[in-house]
Amino acid sequence: MSEDRDLADVLDALSDEYARAILAETSTEPMSAKTLSERCDASLPTVYRRIERLQEHDLVTERTRMKPDGGHHKVYTATLSSLTIDLDDGEYEATVERTDRAADLDADDAADRLTYMWENL
Amino acid sequence: MTIATTPIEWAILAASAASTAVGLYVAYQAYRGYRRHSSRPMQYLSLGLVILLGVTFASAFVGSLLLRGGVVPGDYRPGFTLLVRLLQLLGVVFIAYSLSIRS
Repeated sequence: MSEDRDLADVLDALSDEYARAILAETSTEPMSAKTLSERCDASLPTVYRRIERLQEHDLVTERTRMKPDGGHHKVYTATLSSLTIDLDDGEYEATVERTDRAADLDADDAADRLTYMWENL
Repeated sequence: MTIATTPIEWAILAASAASTAVGLYVAYQAYRGYRRHSSRPMQYLSLGLVILLGVTFASAFVGSLLLRGGVVPGDYRPGFTLLVRLLQLLGVVFIAYSLSIRS
């Protein structure tokens, strides 16, 4: 029953258009809420609400990024790589696969870009 | 004894030092990639770059000083050149190896 609950929650979270847009954008590179609000054409509160929802289901992670001027801000990265739902013998079985490292790579960091480039050469 | 006398010698020295500095910057980024992601390919890439650029430059530089200054007899020049070339080979072998392993 609890697995059904999880599946329902994940499906529910993904049924939202903004949540899907946030996942799609953050799957390419880590992004701040502000950037997401521009890219997804959504207000900041909307973005924060969706991110919170996605985080509850471990579909997005956050990381604090230092800025050159000494300040810092949070960036979000999609961890979802695939969601499969099997219907077999009258039962649903959901499998969520999460990405490990590629999603951790920070597009603003030379070392991360080099790592990504070199490992995929 | 001076490290370089003619303008062209100074230019050679400056170009070598600059390429070493830039190369070590790339090596440093590779090293950070290795630390941040425990990536073995990046570990070997940074090692390879350090050997290829840093170690060979340092040894070529020190070696030519010793040879010029007469501290080491001129007979050692070919052997010394071979050593530098072997270090270069080791560097590129590390880089090639880093391409062949999966993290």
